[in-house]
Amino acid sequence: MRLEIQRDQLLEPLQQVIGAVERRHTLPILGNVLLRADRDQLTLTATDLEVELVAAVEIHVDEPGAVTLPARKLHDICRNLPASADIRILADGERATVQSGKSRFSLATLPADDFPAIGELHDARALRLPREPFKQLIDRTAFSMAQQDVRYYLNGLLLELDPQAIRTVATDGHRLATCDFPLSGAVEEASQVIIPRKGVNELQRLLGSAEEDFLLELDANHLRASIGGLRFTSKLIDGRFPDYERVIPSGTRQQLSVDRESLRQSLVRASILSNEKYKGVRLTMTPDNLAISAHNPEQEEAEEQLPVDYQGETLEMGFNVGYLLDVIGVLEDETFTAGFNDANSSCLVEAGGTTRCRYVVMPMKL
Amino acid sequence: MIDADALRKIIHIDMDAFYASVEQRDDPGLRGRPVIVGGNPQGRGVVAAASYEAREYGIRSAMPAARAVRLCPHAVFLRPRFDVYREVSRQIHEIFAEFTDRIEPLSLDEAYLDVTGSEHCQGSATLMAGEIKHRVRSATGLVASAGVSYNKFLAKLASDADKPDGLHVIRPEQAEAFVADLPIGAFHGVGSATEAKMKRFDIHTGRDLRRHSLAQLTDWFGKAGQHYYNVARGIDPRPVRTSRVRKSLGHETTFPRDLADPRRMVEALERLAEKVARDLARRELAGRTVTLKVKYADFRLVTRSQTFDRPLATGTELAACMPPLLARTEADTTPVRLLGITVSALEPHTPENAGPQLSLELL
Repeated sequence: MRLEIQRDQLLEPLQQVIGAVERRHTLPILGNVLLRADRDQLTLTATDLEVELVAAVEIHVDEPGAVTLPARKLHDICRNLPASADIRILADGERATVQSGKSRFSLATLPADDFPAIGELHDARALRLPREPFKQLIDRTAFSMAQQDVRYYLNGLLLELDPQAIRTVATDGHRLATCDFPLSGAVEEASQVIIPRKGVNELQRLLGSAEEDFLLELDANHLRASIGGLRFTSKLIDGRFPDYERVIPSGTRQQLSVDRESLRQSLVRASILSNEKYKGVRLTMTPDNLAISAHNPEQEEAEEQLPVDYQGETLEMGFNVGYLLDVIGVLEDETFTAGFNDANSSCLVEAGGTTRCRYVVMPMKL
Repeated sequence: MIDADALRKIIHIDMDAFYASVEQRDDPGLRGRPVIVGGNPQGRGVVAAASYEAREYGIRSAMPAARAVRLCPHAVFLRPRFDVYREVSRQIHEIFAEFTDRIEPLSLDEAYLDVTGSEHCQGSATLMAGEIKHRVRSATGLVASAGVSYNKFLAKLASDADKPDGLHVIRPEQAEAFVADLPIGAFHGVGSATEAKMKRFDIHTGRDLRRHSLAQLTDWFGKAGQHYYNVARGIDPRPVRTSRVRKSLGHETTFPRDLADPRRMVEALERLAEKVARDLARRELAGRTVTLKVKYADFRLVTRSQTFDRPLATGTELAACMPPLLARTEADTTPVRLLGITVSALEPHTPENAGPQLSLELL
């Protein structure tokens, strides 16, 4: 393999894929990036066996070929060359040479054939989706995913496609977030896949680009998204996601509406004196007033009063303040509206807009 | 030389051929016959206990049951009835508790008692040991051996000295002579590997051991050298630990036939997970680290573990960790003979301290 490329042309795709390279990898080749040079294109591939990123750049290739090189070393060399530098890469056998001006680097290679690239999907369904709403679906729910739960299927995001809508659902067992975007006819049959946490994070980054839409492909074991020269593939979690609809309250007896930003600020202040482990705050709802209080094991106390629209009976409930702030943080409406039934039942927050979101938060015992 | 140790009074109680004796007690037809309690002799079971009649044929605990059958084909083989043994264990512990609250159980049928300062029997540990033996026999119909001395190591040797139905005392002034004649393999902390090593250095008895300096023993055996130096002189400062702090809890099973189908393995692990969960619940514990143990058909042993952000306690939770852990082994291509689950990073766990946060009812 022999090619010549500008420093920025190589650095950009390298930066795009390097997120998939684990610092602590189990197989030496997972620390490498695969470079495949065809007639007029160079593709770079990195993987940790769970997610794979492939970036392509159009260049002139002198001699086609493929090789794997230590990803971080190549990235660091490239990053520290002058911006306008031309880089020549020559790979032949066990060593590859990276040359630029008077700099010359000889890197250890591993055979391209040993690189565990995912390759083509099998019997994949492909659909073109609008980028912005899809990103919103993820951004507005992903925070509710479990971290390292034994129920491994919760350590990911449920993506549900049906003929009328696309939906995402995440839950850690204490709270649940679901968001849907109406889209007719994208698919004929309903289906569900669970995207692992790491895949969700990479997908969020990927969808931060400026393109209008992107290509989504799904097969039995993978999700693949292609956008602007970058291709992302994630393995799917093999498991059955719980029946989430049954934990979403069908109705609530009491409604509370409050200025979202005022509520956020009050909760942030109160949380300073909440118990560090459980992060509990007490909400006391009385007509037209919401009292928020918190205390910690040192007996320090915080109390906040907010004017609200609330006409129900007096209700006192405890919540993990982090769960409430997470929901408030992803909403955009000026007014925050939540529904309650009783002190031991979940609270339901609904929000409209381009995507329709529902949040269920279980309370804490007082 | 023995200083503060001499002031302690330690009793070691050990039930004689415990499981086998319980079986002979409950079925008079078994009395006087060789009885073996343990695993399946047609498979890979091992002997858990052998009656004294069976021991005459050379049958010992931990011996493969199949070998026991060859040694004594007419022996009666029984599967253990742990519920019954646990009940007896509870009864004998109640008796111990009347004499002291410093009790260190070693197993269902064995315990150290520190009776230093106890007012019973005019403070005589020997009389207390006799009284305990008598009370155990009248309450359970079973025979115990007792050893009395001034530390755990000697008390245990003493209980072994006159088995069955023994009551042996090693007084401080007798310790030296007792230890000197003891074969090296009988010392606390000397297993078969160390025994072989000792013999290479021409150490066969306590007397031989005592000839070597602390520096020499440390040179040969590292940190354990100090312990060997001590026990050769009848010194053992280990206290009787009232409640041993458990660091991990687990179960494992060796299959009658190697398992090759990963689905069968997952099913076996689900059963093990339930057992571990029951033990955790009994002790009101939960653990954050789960370890899967796999022994392949070729006896290679591997473990895979994962640590979670909150403690696990239920069988469902433990079973849910297994497929990803099993996927990190060669179980899909290599048959396995043994699977085990261990939970560590233990912490107290009761429904009350599960925290105030309520959960969604996810199904």
